Amino acid sequence: MLRTTTGRTVAALAASAAALLALSACSSGSGTSSSDDVTISYGIWDQNQQPAMEEIAEAFTAEHPNVTVEIQLTPYKEYFTKLQTSVSGGAAPDVFWMNGPNFQLYASNGVIAPLDDQGVEASDYPQGLIDLYTYDGSLYGVPKDFDTVALWYNTELFDAAGVEYPSAGWTWDDLKAAAAKLSDPAAGVYGITATQYGQENYYNSIAQAGGEVISADGTESGYGSSEALEGITLWTDLIAAGSSPTAQQMTDTAAEDFFISGKAAMFQNGSWAAIAYAENPDLAEKVNVAPLPAGADGNQSVIHGIGNVANAKSTNLDIAKEFAAFASGEQAAAIQSESGTVIPAFNGSQQAWVDALPQYDLQVYIDALESAVPYPVSKNTAAWTALESEILSQVWAGTVSPEDGLTQLAEEMQAALDAESE
Amino acid sequence: MSDLTLTEDLSTRAVVAGPTTPAASASPVRRGRRTGGGNWIVHLLLGFGAVVMVFPFVWQALTAFKTFQDSVQVPPVVIPDPWVFTNFVEVFDSMPFAQMFANSVLLTIGRTVGQVILCTMAGYAFARIPFRGRNVVFVVFLSVLMVPSQLYLLPQYEIIQSLGWLNTLQALIVPGIFSAFGTFLMRQFFMSMPVELEEAARIDGANPWQTFWRVMVPLAKPGIIALTVFTVLWSWNDLLWPLVVTTDPEKMPLSVGLSQLVGLHGTDYPVLMAGALLATLPMLITFMILQKQFIQGIAFSGTKG
Repeated sequence: MLRTTTGRTVAALAASAAALLALSACSSGSGTSSSDDVTISYGIWDQNQQPAMEEIAEAFTAEHPNVTVEIQLTPYKEYFTKLQTSVSGGAAPDVFWMNGPNFQLYASNGVIAPLDDQGVEASDYPQGLIDLYTYDGSLYGVPKDFDTVALWYNTELFDAAGVEYPSAGWTWDDLKAAAAKLSDPAAGVYGITATQYGQENYYNSIAQAGGEVISADGTESGYGSSEALEGITLWTDLIAAGSSPTAQQMTDTAAEDFFISGKAAMFQNGSWAAIAYAENPDLAEKVNVAPLPAGADGNQSVIHGIGNVANAKSTNLDIAKEFAAFASGEQAAAIQSESGTVIPAFNGSQQAWVDALPQYDLQVYIDALESAVPYPVSKNTAAWTALESEILSQVWAGTVSPEDGLTQLAEEMQAALDAESE
Repeated sequence: MSDLTLTEDLSTRAVVAGPTTPAASASPVRRGRRTGGGNWIVHLLLGFGAVVMVFPFVWQALTAFKTFQDSVQVPPVVIPDPWVFTNFVEVFDSMPFAQMFANSVLLTIGRTVGQVILCTMAGYAFARIPFRGRNVVFVVFLSVLMVPSQLYLLPQYEIIQSLGWLNTLQALIVPGIFSAFGTFLMRQFFMSMPVELEEAARIDGANPWQTFWRVMVPLAKPGIIALTVFTVLWSWNDLLWPLVVTTDPEKMPLSVGLSQLVGLHGTDYPVLMAGALLATLPMLITFMILQKQFIQGIAFSGTKG
């Protein structure tokens, strides 16, 4: 009696499951068009750049009338989670954006295809970016854009404090002196935000002091050096002197908000900031940008950029590779440049970006290329950037001295790097 | 009678209770005796809890009407000045809101109906139908609860992909209709019911299906309501799975659509909050309307317990 009922329940379940399957089979029958027409997908993460990417896709279709490029937008925070899943499942986009920290992981696992046969001229792109997307002697990603870092400042606050605007040739001492003068605790105004940001702040200052975060071959941590210590203490000293909000304050409130609200006179930021500031009516007229201040070894900025890569398992690999090169080529660069969103990587096409916002001295971002240092990466970048943020947050908060923090960081990061090469 | 006078009334009569009906306060004698001081403390704690719970929502609503500049001001601007309504327009401009809303609704209904049916049947089977290896199967089943859901992301994705279901509604719904938690919840519920009810039904000539369907399911209403609430909330808010299986904005639920408003280097918070507010409202309204049933369901379970 009971057995049969169970049997019946199971049968009913099975029947309903089968019905469900049949139903779905009907609804998922998507139209497959004639064999000549090809649709490739292009994975990106920045909504602001979507219009420019669509324009590039159309330009590609104009050259290849049988190819349609479909843009797939995934927000940056979830981009690599989704990419990893879809790569493992074999349904990743045919062409997609890649960044420096993740590049070697994908290249070394054969997920993305070498693009050596696409006729990409290395001399058309900044060397730092070509190096970033070269793995084992092959180019796997074509640089799409780049960002360098410069010093934004609020002219109103400088005028009010009677301090001269930052200019080329500024040193760390000039920065510290100006930041101290500009700070006005009573009004809640600070000279600068000494944030625990790598790309915007301490990656630059470590290079400026003559140190490095990681050796060029990506096997040795540079945090044990006295230069790295100087690069870090530049920021912690600014906080200690009261020229910057404390680490706690900058945890409670995004550091950039201090600058946007006119509560911080200086803010180091990447080239992506230009269009955001220009479009902010309350801020646009009050700010400008200057080169980074120089440390003992110069005023280097780190350079990073997105690369276009082709999925090695794409069913239309040839077209995917061609599009990856096209989307980083001269025509695509012109489209991006005019949009003003990012600086295209293709040499010679950067001027339009500078000219798009003539009210700011954006040339400083292009000039920074000359001495720019590559963004620090290794095969498994995420393993040690997690250590960076954990240990340095204690240094920033003042609970661990910079000396002890960096000694610990150098040791643990080295262990992570050694684990990579095994 | 205003809340305040009601409170005073209650405290003088030394009754412990939150807001209650005048009818209840009319017969205070049957209530337990507590000190009036305790009553104030309870109200203070509850009030504090209410403020803590409501504050983020109020802040979200206010931010939805601010200019971007106001939303990132240091120190924070509380009341929008001026009030901006274009943020809502921008939400509709930047994504197919109506389609995403429809997807969210279908996803939620599909998962909830599926879970209620499957978990109720499975829970009943585990609670009442003796079969060989039942406890072993149940423990194995429960062990699914111990595994973090991120771990099935990849295998589930591969199954869905090989079925050709990416970017479809069933990809959003089907993996969500099986629930170890829901089965466990319903099993515990059925376990707590007197066996005599089923025996009575059997004596009256009901077969096991009739016993289940006509007698046990109606009695399990409070459990089903609880399961529904959990499933609805979880489905409406679910982000990771829908994000991974959809690439076409027309197939995405609202949770995924909203996440696309978060920028890499900067986010337009007022627009994001306006979108979030629009996405939260249906849930709020649903629960306000169904609040009565919900509370009745719980009260019902109390009398049976």
